[in-house]
Amino acid sequence: MSALVPAVIAIPLSLAVLVLLIPSRVGRILTAIGGLATAGCILALVFGTANGLTHLDALSAVFLVPVAIVYGTVGLYSTWYVRAESIGADGDERYRREFLALTNAFACAEAVVPLLTNMAGLWVALEVTTILAALLVRLQGTDASLEAAWKYILIASCGLAIGLIGVVVLYAAGASILGAHYGPQWSAYIAVAGKLNADAIRLAFLLALIGFGTKMGLAPMHTWLPDAHGAGPTPTSAMLSGVLLSDALYVITRFASIANAALGPSMTQHLFFVVGLLSLFVGAFFLLGQRDIKRMLAYSSIEHMGIVACGLAFGARLAVVGALLHVVNHAATKALAFFSAGRLASRFDTREIEKITGGVAVLPVSGTLFALAGLALAGMPPFGPFRSELMILAGGFSTGSWPIAATVLGLLLVAFAGLARWTIGVTAGGLPEGMKRGERDVAAIGSMLLAFAVVLGLGIVVPTHLVALLERAGDIVGGHP
Amino acid sequence: MTHLTVPEAFAGTIAMLLLIVQLSLFRSVVISEFIRVYAIQAWLVAAICLGVGITEHAWDLMVLAILTLVFKGVLLPRYMQSLAKGISARVELPARINILLSLLLAGALIGISILTSVQLPLHEGAFLPRADLATALSMVFIGFLVAILRPNALAQVVAFLTLEDGLFFGTITLAPGLPFVIGILLLIDVLVAVVVFAVLVRALVGAQAAASVHVFERLKG
Repeated sequence: MSALVPAVIAIPLSLAVLVLLIPSRVGRILTAIGGLATAGCILALVFGTANGLTHLDALSAVFLVPVAIVYGTVGLYSTWYVRAESIGADGDERYRREFLALTNAFACAEAVVPLLTNMAGLWVALEVTTILAALLVRLQGTDASLEAAWKYILIASCGLAIGLIGVVVLYAAGASILGAHYGPQWSAYIAVAGKLNADAIRLAFLLALIGFGTKMGLAPMHTWLPDAHGAGPTPTSAMLSGVLLSDALYVITRFASIANAALGPSMTQHLFFVVGLLSLFVGAFFLLGQRDIKRMLAYSSIEHMGIVACGLAFGARLAVVGALLHVVNHAATKALAFFSAGRLASRFDTREIEKITGGVAVLPVSGTLFALAGLALAGMPPFGPFRSELMILAGGFSTGSWPIAATVLGLLLVAFAGLARWTIGVTAGGLPEGMKRGERDVAAIGSMLLAFAVVLGLGIVVPTHLVALLERAGDIVGGHP
Repeated sequence: MTHLTVPEAFAGTIAMLLLIVQLSLFRSVVISEFIRVYAIQAWLVAAICLGVGITEHAWDLMVLAILTLVFKGVLLPRYMQSLAKGISARVELPARINILLSLLLAGALIGISILTSVQLPLHEGAFLPRADLATALSMVFIGFLVAILRPNALAQVVAFLTLEDGLFFGTITLAPGLPFVIGILLLIDVLVAVVVFAVLVRALVGAQAAASVHVFERLKG
C-alpha cells in the first residue's frame, strides 16, 4: 500500500518531462490518463489510511483528496483546453507542451505537500509550488499575465519568508530540548509539546499564520489571488484555488496542532477568528462588485477560506470536521466552477460577466453546470458545501459563540447574494444573436461531470471511511493525535 | 561579566555589518547601488555560513558558503548589473519619505525585533542566539520597509533579495541543522533574480519607462 506514495509523485513528475519531448496531441492524452491514474492511487492511499494500512496520518490523507479531485479532472479538461487555447500559430505547439509540462509538475508539487510532515520540508515544498505556479500564470505572455505572475511571486515569496521565520523559531525552540541537530518532524514537536517555550510557539504560529496564510489567500494578505486566478490559464486557476490554497492550509494546521498541544486551543482559535472573519468579509463584499468571471470565483475562494478558518476557530469537533470537509467540497466545486466558466469565457470570447448572457442556451451542459456550481458555492442544498457550512455553523452555535456564528451566517448571505446575482446573469436568457448552440467536447464535459458528481455526492452522503478520517484529522488539528 | 567567544564575536560583527549595509538602501538613488548592496550582503552571509560550517564541522554549510559567494556574491549581481545597464543611468529611484525619517522607522523596527527576540530563550548554546533572531527579523522588516518606501519595481525585487539574506542569516545561525532550507533559499534567489528581474527589465525597456515604474499597475488585487 505504501508503494502508492512514490507512484503519486512519480506519475506526474515523469509526465512533466515526457510531454516536453512528444507532440502535444499525445501529451494531452497522457496527461489525462496520468491525472486519473494519480487520482486513483491517491484514493487508494486514502482508503488504506482509513483502514490503518499506510504510514500516513489522517490529516495528510484528508488534504490529499483535493489533489485527487482536481488533478484527476484537470488532466481531462486540459485535453480540450490545449486544443481550444491559441496564442498564435508559431507559438501554439511550444505553448501547449510547456503548459502540459508545468501542469504535471505543479500537480506533483501540490501532491508532495500533504505527504510531508517535516516542518522545514513543508516550507520547501510550498516554495516549489510558488515558482511553478508563477511560471504557469505568466505562460500566456500577455501584459496582464506577466503582471499577475510578478505580483504573485513577490507577494507569495514575502509571505513564505515570514513563514520560514516561523519554521526557524520553531526549530530553535525545539533545539533547546531535542539538541542543536534534529529532524524537524511534526511528531517530534508533538512528543515534547509540553516542554516547548510558550512564547516561541506563539511567535512561530503567528508567523506561520501570516506567512502561509498569504499563500492560502487569507485577508489582508490575499491581494495576489484575484490577479493570479484571473490571469492564469483556466486549469491553473482550478489548481490554484482547489489545491494550492488547501496545501497552505495544511501547513498552517500542522503548526496549529503543535501550538494547540503546547498551549491549548485558545490562542489559535482567536487568531483563526480574526483572519477568518476578515477573509469572509472581504470575499463576500468584493464578490458583489466583480466584472470578471474568473476574478469573481477568486473572491469566492477567499470567502471559502475564511469559512474554513472560522470552522477551525470555533473549535467544536463538529465545526473542525466540517472545516476539513469544506476543504474537499471547495476543491471539487471550484474545479467545476472554473472549468465551466472557462468554457463560457472561451465561447463568448470574453471574461466580462455582463457580456456573457444565455450561457445555458449557448452551452447547455457547461452553462447548466456553471449555474449548479454557483449555487453550490453559494451554499445551497443539496450540494457538498451546504453540508460542510451547516456543520461549521452548527458547531459554532453549539460552542455558544453566538455573535460570531451569526456574523458568519450574515456574511454567507452577502456572498450568496453576489454569487446568485452573477450566476443567474451569466446563465439565464435566450440564445444571443450570432451565437451557435451546442457543445461536443467529450473530455471537457466528462471532467466537469466528474467534479459535479463529487459536489453532489458529498452533499447527499459522506462515505464512512472519509468521516472516520475527518474525525481523526480533526483530533490532530486539536493537538490530540 | 560575560566574555564573547570568537565565533560569537564574529557572528555579532557580521550581524552588525549586514544591518548597516542594508540601511544604506535608504540613501541609494540608482538601481546599480541597490545591486551593489545586495552583493556586499551576499559576501557577508557567505562568511557567516563558512564560519558556522567551520565551527560545527559541517561540510554541507561550507559548500553552501562557496556556492553563495559564487552565485549571490558574484554571478547574480553581475548578471543584474548587465541587465540594468541601460536603465540604471536614467532611472532615479523615488522615495516616499526622506532618509532621516526612513532611518528612524528602521530603527524602530530594529527595536521591535530586539524586544521580541529577548523574550525568547531559544536554542541554548547556539552561535549568538538572541542577536541572531533580532538581526534576521530586523533585516526582514527593513526589506519590507524598503519595498514600501521605494515605489519602484526593480528596487522592490532587490529589497526582496536583501530580505532573503536576513532569512539566510537567521536559518544558518539559528537552525544550522537545516542546510537543505539554506540551499533552497539560494535557489530561490537565483530564480527570482534571473526570472523576475529579467522580466521586469524587459517590460521597462519595452515600455520606455524611464523615470518611474508604472508598467505593472493595471491589476488591482
